[in-house]
This record gives sequence, C-alpha cells and structure tokens, in this order.
Amino acid sequence: MPCQYRRKDTKTSRCEFCSPDLVYSAFPVSGSSLVSMQGWVTLALLLSLGVKRSLGQNGVGELPVPRGLTLNPDLPAQTLSLTWQSDSSLFDLEIFHTELMNVVLNETVAVKADAVTGLHSWTWHSPLPLECTSHSVRIRARNQQSVGQWSPLQTIPGSDIPEKSESYMFPQDKVVPVGSNMTFCCIVKEKEDFKDMIYRRQEMSATRLSRRTYAITVTNQPASGNTGTNVICSSQRSTLTGAVVFVGYPPGDEGLVCETRDLASAECSWKKGRDTHLRTKRSRTKYTLNGRDCLEANERKTWWCSSKVWEESWSLLARNPLETVQLTDSAQLTDRVHLLAPVNVTAVEVKAWSATLRWSWSVAAYKKLEMVCQLQLFAHELSSTRNYSSPGLSSVELEGLWPDLDYTVTLRCGSKHSFWKWGDESAPYRIHTKMDRPDALDVWIWMDSSNTRRVFWKPLSLRKSHGALIGYEVSQNSAEEDGWTRVFLPPGNFSYPIILNNSSDITVAVAARNPAGLSQPSTVTTPAYRADSQLSVSELLAINGSFHLSWQPNANASSGYAVEWVPTGCSGLCPVDWKKVPESDSSFSVNSDSLVAGVRYTVSVYSLSTGAPTLLQRWQGYSQEMVPSQSVSDLSANQTGSDVLLSWKDTAMEHQRGFIRGYTVYLANAAHLDLIANISDPEVQSYRVKGLSLSLFKFVVKAYTSAGEDAGSTVAIKVEMDTAIMLFIGILVPLGIMFCCLILVSICCYKKREWVKKAFYPEIPGPKVSGDWSSPRGPLDVKPSPHSVVHIVESPGWDFTKEGLFPVPEEEEESENDNIEVDTDSDEPALLRYYNQVVGDGSHSNHVSDSSGSSTASVGSTQTEITYAGIQSPTSSQGACGGGGYRPQMQSVAAPAEPQIEFGDDFQDDALNTGYKPQCSWQMDSPEAENFSGSLGSPTSVTSSQFLIPESSEEKPQPSNTWFHNFLSGKS
Amino acid sequence: MEGAADSGRSAADRAAALARLLHRDCTRLLQLYVVHGALTKERESFLSQHAPGSERLVTLALCPEALSTAEQVSHVRSALRRCMELLECLISREVEEMGEELEGEYERLRKTVKDRLGHLVHSTGALLENGEGGCPPSPPLQCIKGQDEVDSFAAKLWTYKVLLELIHWTDSASQTLHLFHTEKHGQQQQQQLL
Repeated sequence: MPCQYRRKDTKTSRCEFCSPDLVYSAFPVSGSSLVSMQGWVTLALLLSLGVKRSLGQNGVGELPVPRGLTLNPDLPAQTLSLTWQSDSSLFDLEIFHTELMNVVLNETVAVKADAVTGLHSWTWHSPLPLECTSHSVRIRARNQQSVGQWSPLQTIPGSDIPEKSESYMFPQDKVVPVGSNMTFCCIVKEKEDFKDMIYRRQEMSATRLSRRTYAITVTNQPASGNTGTNVICSSQRSTLTGAVVFVGYPPGDEGLVCETRDLASAECSWKKGRDTHLRTKRSRTKYTLNGRDCLEANERKTWWCSSKVWEESWSLLARNPLETVQLTDSAQLTDRVHLLAPVNVTAVEVKAWSATLRWSWSVAAYKKLEMVCQLQLFAHELSSTRNYSSPGLSSVELEGLWPDLDYTVTLRCGSKHSFWKWGDESAPYRIHTKMDRPDALDVWIWMDSSNTRRVFWKPLSLRKSHGALIGYEVSQNSAEEDGWTRVFLPPGNFSYPIILNNSSDITVAVAARNPAGLSQPSTVTTPAYRADSQLSVSELLAINGSFHLSWQPNANASSGYAVEWVPTGCSGLCPVDWKKVPESDSSFSVNSDSLVAGVRYTVSVYSLSTGAPTLLQRWQGYSQEMVPSQSVSDLSANQTGSDVLLSWKDTAMEHQRGFIRGYTVYLANAAHLDLIANISDPEVQSYRVKGLSLSLFKFVVKAYTSAGEDAGSTVAIKVEMDTAIMLFIGILVPLGIMFCCLILVSICCYKKREWVKKAFYPEIPGPKVSGDWSSPRGPLDVKPSPHSVVHIVESPGWDFTKEGLFPVPEEEEESENDNIEVDTDSDEPALLRYYNQVVGDGSHSNHVSDSSGSSTASVGSTQTEITYAGIQSPTSSQGACGGGGYRPQMQSVAAPAEPQIEFGDDFQDDALNTGYKPQCSWQMDSPEAENFSGSLGSPTSVTSSQFLIPESSEEKPQPSNTWFHNFLSGKS
Repeated sequence: MEGAADSGRSAADRAAALARLLHRDCTRLLQLYVVHGALTKERESFLSQHAPGSERLVTLALCPEALSTAEQVSHVRSALRRCMELLECLISREVEEMGEELEGEYERLRKTVKDRLGHLVHSTGALLENGEGGCPPSPPLQCIKGQDEVDSFAAKLWTYKVLLELIHWTDSASQTLHLFHTEKHGQQQQQQLL
C-alpha cells in the first residue's frame, strides 16, 4: 500500500495519509493539537472496524514494540524528528514535558516505513522552543484491532537541567512576521526566584513548565523598532535574562527596471516598497540580481544594482528571513539607453543674435549613437526649448538669440531610436550675447491747446534696446530753418518740449543710442499752431474697464491712425499714452491696464500722414466711474420768507471720479436723511425748499455719479420770522397797547374827573377883601426890598442848601433886575424860587390873592404874584406841608434859626387867621417854569411833587390853554 | 623652566577640564541609549532597571597600593585606552549591525565622545612624557564583531556596560587629573618661594 508524506508549505506542515480508497487529512504538526485531535477521533472511528477485525484474527498484545526510537531536535526550527523501526504502520505517539510529565502531544499517526532504510520517521513542530525544558517521547504500534506496548521514553534534555545553572531565555533573535504568535520561556538561574516576564514593557502572564522554566505566549505581535522587541525575565532582585525578537514584514520591493548608461553595462533599480521594520544585519533584506549579490543594495542600502554586461532578462531576488520576493525585467539594450550628461559645455562663438555651443561625451560609444538633444535656454522673460538631432551630437548653432542678454543653457540628450528617457542634464552654462543698435522708438507728439508741444517716446524693452541705452537724441527742424537742432538726453527721459512758431510745421526726430550705435530715428510732425479744437467731445462709456473706439476711416490717413489718451485737464508732464493703428483699421480698444479707475480720460484719434497729425475725433470717459471723492463745494442756504434757497458748486474734476449725473438734497434728521429732491440735471446747482416752519434745518446735498453718491455737504439754517412781521410786532403792537392804555386812562380820568379836579384843581375861594379892590386893575409895580437881593444861580451841581444862595450887592442887583424884588426877610430854602413876573389876565386875580398869603414879606410890600413851583429837592421835607390843614410843600432846611422861626410864625399865623393855606403844588400858569411845563397834565403824588408820568424835557412846553388843560378843568 | 612649568600646569588643567567635559558627554550618551536614544524607536528602557554586575569590563594589572599622583594618572590613562578600544568596538558593532544611515543625536554624540576620548588619552600621555611611569598597560581587548556569535540581548547589555565603563573612567580621570594639576601647581608655588 503506497503512502506519501510531504510538506505542503513552509508555514504549516501537514501529513497526508494516503490509502487506495481514502485520503485522510492527517494531523497538523503545528502546535494546534486540539484541532488535530478532532481529526484523529474521526480517524479512530473509521479504523475501529478494522481494529475489531484484526483483534479477531491476531489477538491482543501481538503487535511488536517499535524499536530504535531516535529523537533529532532542530532547535532554531523548534522541530523534533522521530525515527524508529517497526512493522506496523499505525502508531500512537506521546510527548511529555519531562520534568512535570505534562503531555503535550498524544496522537495516532500513520507512518509508512521508508522503502530504503526501513525506518519510520515523523516530525513534530513544537510551539515551545525545545531548549525551554526536557521533552520525552514514547511510541507504540497500533492496528485496527489492537495496540502494542509503549516504547521506552526517549528524552532530549532542555536547558533547565541542573548542569546548566545559569539563566536563559528562548528563542533568541527570532525574526517573525507582524501579527504572529510566539512563546518565550525563561529558565531561572539556580537558587533564583522568578518575578515576571515583560514583553514590550508590558508584564505578561507566565506559565510554569518546570522547576526553573516559565513561559509566556504573545499574540498578534506588532512591528518592532530598529533594534527589535525586548523580552525581559526578572527576578525579585535584578534582570535575569532576556531576548530580542524582530517582528516585521516580508520584502515589499517592486518595479525592477534595468537600463544602460554606457551602452554596455546595466543598472537595475527598483522601488523599496513597504518598510520591513527589519533593519539589523541578520534581518534586513538581501538582494541578488541574476544570482549575483547586489553589493550596492546590500551594503549601501540603496535600491539599485549594476551588472557589467547587459542581459536581456533580469531577475532580482529580495530576501529577508520572512520571505523572498522575485522581481523581473527584460529588454533590449538599445531600448534602455539612458545617456549620461554632456560635459565641457562651452560657447565657442557668441554674437549678438546667435552663438555656437559645443560639448563632449564621457562615453566614447555615444559618438555613434543616433541621439536627440534638448537644449533649454533661460533668459529674463525669455525661455525656449530647442531640439537637435544627430549621431554623436556634440555642437549646435543657437539662432534667434537677442542681443545683450544673459542666457543660461542646459542640455540633455537621449537615444533617438527607441527613445527611452532623457539623459542626465548638463550643468547650467551661461552665455551673454553681444550688443546691437537699438530698435526705432515709438514717438508721439502731444498737442494740447497751448503753444508748447511735447514729444513723447516709449521706453525700449530689453528685446528692443539691444544693450544698455546711453541716451536719446532729439532733433527738430522747421521749414524756416536750415538743418536740424539736436539735443542729447540721458536715459530716463521719455519726453521733450517743443517750442512752436506760428509760421511753419516742426518735424521732430528721436533716436536711442547704446554702445553699439544709434537707432533709426523716428519722426513726428507738429503743426505750427493749433487752435483749440472745435470738435465736440462726446462721452465715452467703458466696457469692462476698457474703451472701445471706432471712427470713420479717413482718406488722408496714409500712415494710419494714432489713438491718444491722457487724463483730462492734465497739463505739463502728463501720462500721455498712445497707440498707432494701421490705416486698415478704424477701431481700437484701450485696455483697462493702461487706465486708472476714477480718472477722466480724453481720448483722441488722429489721422497720420506725411504732415502733422490731424485730429479726427475726441471723447471723454472713465474706465470705471467711482463715487466723487469730495462733496459739492460752496454749499449755502439763504432764507426767503419761509423758503430756503440752497445753492452749491461742483467739486473739482479730479475729485468727481465720474460724470456727475445729478444731485440729491436731503433733510437731515437726528438719525437719518430724508430725501427731499433728486436733481437729475447736473447743470442745476440750486434748489428751493419751500414752506419751512420757524426752526433749525440741516440740509445735505450730494452729487452722484453712476457709481453712487458722495459723502455729501451739509448746511444748517435757522428759519426766522420775516422782517415786516418783525417790524409789525416790534413797533406797532407796543404802540397799539400804549394807545389803548391812554384811552383807558382817559376814560378813567373822564369818569373820575370830579375827583381829579378836586385832587389837582380844587376850587380856590376868592379872597375876601374889605373895601373896594376891584379897581383899577393893572400891572403891579413890585419893587424889590431894599434890604437884600437874592440872586438865583443855576448850577448843575447845585446843592439845595442855603450855600446856593449868594448874597449879591444891592447896587448890582438893582442895576440888573430892577423889576425883581426878593423877599429878603424870608429865610425860604433855595428851592422856592420867586419870580416876579407879570402874568396874563386869565389867572392873574387868583395869583394875586394867593400871593397875599404866601409870603408875609410880600404882603407888607407891594403886591406880588408868587408861584410855588412845587418842585422839591430830594431832601425836601414833606413834613413842611403836613402841619395840619392844607399847607404848601416846603423843604425843611437847616437855616438860621431866627428867620426860620420868623417865617414859620408868620406862616402859622396866616393859616390860623385865614383858614386857608396855599397848595404845595406847581403853578401851571407860571410862564417861567419851563422846566416843568413838560410835565403838565402828569398826575402828581399828593405827598410828593414828583410827576408820576414824566415826559421828555425836550418836548416843547405846551400852552396852558390846551385841550388837556381844559379837560382837567372840566371845560369842554 | 618657568614657562615649561606653566605649560605643564596648564596642560594638566586642560586635561582635567577635558575629562570633566567627557564625563558629562558619556553620561548624556548613556541617557540617549537607554531612554532618549534615536537609535531605536523602542528604547532600551529596561536597562534603566538593570543592575549591572560588579565586575568591570576594564581591569588593570596589579599596581602597588601606594601610587603617586603621576602614577595614578598613568593608571587612569591606561584605563582610558581600554575604554577607547571598547568604544571603537562598540561603534564598529553598531555600525555593522545597523548600518551608517542612522544619524541621530546618539550617533553624533557617540562620535564626539570618541574624538574627545582620543584627545584625553593623548593629552594625559603628554603629561607623562617625563618618564612618570605607572602600571603596566592592560592587555588589549578582543572586539567580537558580528551578531552571529553574540545574541542581540547580550549585545545590548554589553553596550550598556561599555557606556558605564566610560562614565566611570572619565570621572576617575577627571578627579585624578585635577589632583595632579593641584599638586603641580603647589610645587610651582613652592619653587617660586624658594
């Protein structure tokens, strides 16, 4: 009966028991004995029928004991190989940990004897390193009916035997894949205790296998660090021993590519792929290329390998302790040419517009290779790539260079046929081309309305200057003058003023100069004099920030057209820009790049011919309108009645930043603006706000463009009443009130006229005179007293005292006032003035009678009309009249006692005797009392002689017989 | 003579300063290896709990018990030479094992220690040029390269011991050279007083 035993793979080995009828999956030889036991239970059931039959035939105990059991351990592989001799082919196996006789394997296996040696052999893979402890094995034969006797135990000693008294740990330096499981054992030194086992700084649960051996099992191990994963076994006192395990991945290399650099040898490279985490010498990946060690990769840890000869197929083996990976590549040598970099690159002949470049090759075989070279030129704003092809190419002519430029050249080449890839790039090489004359300038003359023109030219770019410019030559001539007038300007000048004359056109030529020479002059002609253009200027609207212009073609534009744009209103050195358009074109776009938003531009189109440019059309516009940067100016508010007229002026053009489309007028309230007018006509710069009440108003006026309103100007005005009304209220109303008051007073006085009369004009009884006093009537001749004369002196500082009375010599007085007689006996205060006056007929009799009692001095003398003016000084004593009865008001003045007493006595005597006393009042009829005549009609206090309603002293005295006098007198 | 004495004194002083600097370097090197080493992602932190055995890697031949200071300098110099051999062996083994592509702080300081240790051996030798002999030199160490003979765990323990030896002997050199410098300085002052 044939039987085969084979290893299926390197990781898990199985035995397959083969029979003609059945092939049974036999035991797994890995550590998973429980799984294998299930298989063997099935096997045992199947074999039980045969066993029973065998027992019936041969009897129990007839099976021979296997002979010569031999154990061969493979310690690194942790396998134990068993060989024995027996006639049977079915055996029971038992493996123990010797010291504690723990069964680690108990299986029934079918093993055929080797045909040559006649030996049975079987291999067991131990999950535990075999050094950890001693293992014992026994075996017995079995058939379908019976089992034989066990063979004697065969033992392989572990490292925990007494002869090895040191500490050990197994396995050492093992390399395993990430995620695998492992069992480590620690053999404790004799007379040492066991504390713990630590894996990756983590204490593990240990199992005791023998007196000195402990084991841990770790599962799903993660990748190690550079120097492996440490496993430490410690006693209570110190570290006993340890081991390092390297956990990583199989090689992940891929993408092998081989190529030749010298058309003979090969260089193969590949990608490293995933990190194996195995870096130590024993675990890192080793490479062989077509069976030869790849020293470059193994020693320098690079990912390329060389071979001195080209082989059409290549095989790279990447091997580490976990796995071997094979990478392959195959190609013809000519298909994998990767040229080296050109060397010794030099420019042998450099001109202004070209140069010759040469180089050499470090590999002689390149000279016959049909190659293509790529040359890259780098310059300021100029870069180009050029390809050249030739066998063994080693020089090229570089055309189309620009003068006076720095070029940096790099070069790389490849095989033209079966192009594989560009070779290495040469080191950068610098070329500086020579200078050449500049290109002609773009010249324009700016013609504003003044007599001064300015010729402008555009700066030359690097491509056109052909060398650093030294300066510009500006030449001008006119028909009147012979020859050209030249001016040399240093670089940096881009305009020059031209003085016009009124007689002829002026031609201006401008040329640029560099060290290589002078450019072709560019000419432009300006007319002799140019009046202000009568062309209407139309508004130009920009589209996306650009001006799109079109004009009617002009037959005279033999040299095309010139479009000029300049900020409106600019003078002097203005940023004039222009563009010349061929005659075939009649449209042009001024791009937004050359325009500034919010700036008004004047765009003009000129026709160009042999003479001076002719203006064809002119526009003004903004590339982008913005809100005005400044508000309207000179905003004022003027009141007219209840209206307010707002007026303002435009802001300057540079601040408008757009076409003013109108104005908005707002009434400013506390927190917001109320729109009261929107003036869409920008020419209207005033607005009348009507019907305002008397209050303070604030108005805001804003100019607006298509972009919006400006910030606004504010004006405040307080609306007040009109002047006519003010006059009416201020003058007429008080007058009216006064008039009403007068009427009321008049009515009141009229109704109380009796009382008024009594108060002011009491009836004065006529004097009772015995005898006939009635005739004849005539003027009294009153002569002054011969004793003394009192002269009344009026003085502004007159003190109402007796000192105001100056004695005057009698003779002098007499000479001056012959008809005035002063009562020298009376010691009256100065306030009482005597005026010897001849009065009219009306009141003469009364005064005569009155004066008779008023002064005793006058009584005894001549008949004198005495008037008491009734005017008192502020110091007058009211008591003077209060002596009972009706008394004239008199001032109590300190006077010499004698005259006073005399006067008083006389006065009192008169009062007692007559029962009548003169009123202390003014004498309205006195013509001398001019100062008081103005107060006529004014009510007077009973106790005071002050007028209650004084009137201006400037008023002329009223005649005593006015209507008011009559009114008071009760006369009609 | 005075100038020579000054130079000798300053040379001893400089050697003592170099020994002190080297001692600090070696201490830092051990820290990098055990705790902060860039050599390994998983640091050899177990070594911080490891109690090394009492036996030294660097042992010297028997010397008289009563050594002069100069003889002690010679004694230390001999030990430093053995340390130098150990360090060179250590470096070659680590380079062979891990390659040269690792260039972390540990590797840089390891090279610095090697250079300064060479300078210290040289400068101490210059101090003893006048025949101030010492102990007979210790036999050179046998550097066992390759991991085939020594397992990785034992190599780590050995590296740890080598670094401890460096710390020990550089400290010893620092103290001895300081003593040597002090004595020289005292002798100079006495000569000047006389």
